[in-house]
Amino acid sequence: MVGLSIGEKHFIEGGIAQNLRTDGRKRLVYRPIQIETGVIPQANGSARVRMGGTEVIASVKAELGRPSSLQPDKGKVFINVDCSPTAAPIFEGRGGEELSSELSGALQICLLGGKSGAGAGIDLSSLSIVGGKICWDLYIDGLVVSADGNLLDALGAAIKAALSNTAIPKVNVAAGASSDEQPEVDISDEEFLQFDTSAVPVIITLTKVGREYIVDATPEEESHMDSAISISVNRQRNLCGLTKRGSAGLDPSVILDMVSVGKHVSEELMNKLDSEIAAAEAREEE
Amino acid sequence: MAGKDNATPSTYSPSPKILKKKRAPVFTDVDWVRPDGRGFHQCRPAYLRTGAVNSASGSAYIEIGNTKVIVSVFGPRESKKAMMYSDIGRLNCNVSYTTFATPTRGQVSDCKEISARLHKALEGAIILDTFPKTTVDVFALVLESGGSDLPVVISCASLALADAGIMLYDLISSVSVSCLGKNIVIDPVSEEESYQEGGLMITSMASRNEITQLAITGEWSTPKLNEAMEVCLAACFKLGEAMRACLKESASASQE
Repeated sequence: MVGLSIGEKHFIEGGIAQNLRTDGRKRLVYRPIQIETGVIPQANGSARVRMGGTEVIASVKAELGRPSSLQPDKGKVFINVDCSPTAAPIFEGRGGEELSSELSGALQICLLGGKSGAGAGIDLSSLSIVGGKICWDLYIDGLVVSADGNLLDALGAAIKAALSNTAIPKVNVAAGASSDEQPEVDISDEEFLQFDTSAVPVIITLTKVGREYIVDATPEEESHMDSAISISVNRQRNLCGLTKRGSAGLDPSVILDMVSVGKHVSEELMNKLDSEIAAAEAREEE
Repeated sequence: MAGKDNATPSTYSPSPKILKKKRAPVFTDVDWVRPDGRGFHQCRPAYLRTGAVNSASGSAYIEIGNTKVIVSVFGPRESKKAMMYSDIGRLNCNVSYTTFATPTRGQVSDCKEISARLHKALEGAIILDTFPKTTVDVFALVLESGGSDLPVVISCASLALADAGIMLYDLISSVSVSCLGKNIVIDPVSEEESYQEGGLMITSMASRNEITQLAITGEWSTPKLNEAMEVCLAACFKLGEAMRACLKESASASQE
């Protein structure tokens, strides 16, 4: 992606080995994060996250749908990421498509948990309205406005912020409908339900450069990586999902070590995000 | 599940056993029996064969339980003209399902994503510098989907690549586990997969002790993760040995 000379590569690698990166950060320090919520009036919830030069928008739309037959008492969540060519010329055509599908696949693994929905960061049972008949379908759309490294973590943070900003209209189910009919529903315009987002995990991508791991890699550092793992960790410090990027193989013990380092970093990030989201919500209400 | 049907007549009757299995809570008990009667850490029997397709540079067929997969490898051949110059080789992966692979006809899971994950799992093991300017095509077809499809596709693709004589750092073997209640079950069948609370898939180069791909879903505590990885890696190693034996056998057969 980013063309680097051998000298530049050595410079970056040497800096990382000495715990001082090219922008002055230490290995496990994030760039400043700015969060703004409620940026899209058309959506049920939305947020914009800026992490250095990376800027992403996440929006949540809720629609009524039918639950799947396997999980009749749960709602459904769809995650989709769009990389617009306005962010970078390489996103035009197939380049963007590939990255988009990689990112949405990773988010799916990190946030939605197993197929049965257990262990998912988003509590799907609260989306059910009438068991087996009607549920909310949440469409989570991410948009990459500007790409400057570490897109996945930024998208994860944006989705977390957008979900805590999401207001789902209260639904009144008409009583008396027989059990095999589709019940009639009435969507309230005034009453909304807030979404419980305390369980939504944060996503941390650890990039391995040489023998060390760094978080929040810039594009220069990303182009240098041989492998990276993205983990999602919830408040209980349990692992909720993991994907590996980069082609180089890793020793199993290294992966376990990376997971424990990631868990350690997650706590700090979680607190930082929570306070930023709370501040953004407060600003929006003013 | 020892089949104690002594009370029921031999004619067909809706078996209560099957009805029970359709419910998820069965899996949360400590001692349930897997649908096919296997132990929790026991893999399904595997049948491996190379040279399943004559016209391909290399091909392989793997049957693990009910999951049947065929993979052909074509090339290396010249990259398409529209492609930019590249001093390393390209890998092109495509996974497709037959329409009759799943219980409901044409109920295809996301083939594009599976193809992308196959690509990611393979690229780390192939020595791409050995065929610059050219492309290797890996086409996989799932004949029957019986659970753990992606791991079987990955292992089969690696066998086909080896059969085609593509330079590899090591054979790749892939195994997945499902987490059901308190238990970790290896090599899950479709039914177990659909009820799983968490899943872990490892793709490894066993003799180099390296993991090329790892995907984890669901909530995992550290001790459980350690256990699952250990079980998976041990199974990967065994599968790798079986694959190696299959290649040796086909090589010695062709010499004769």
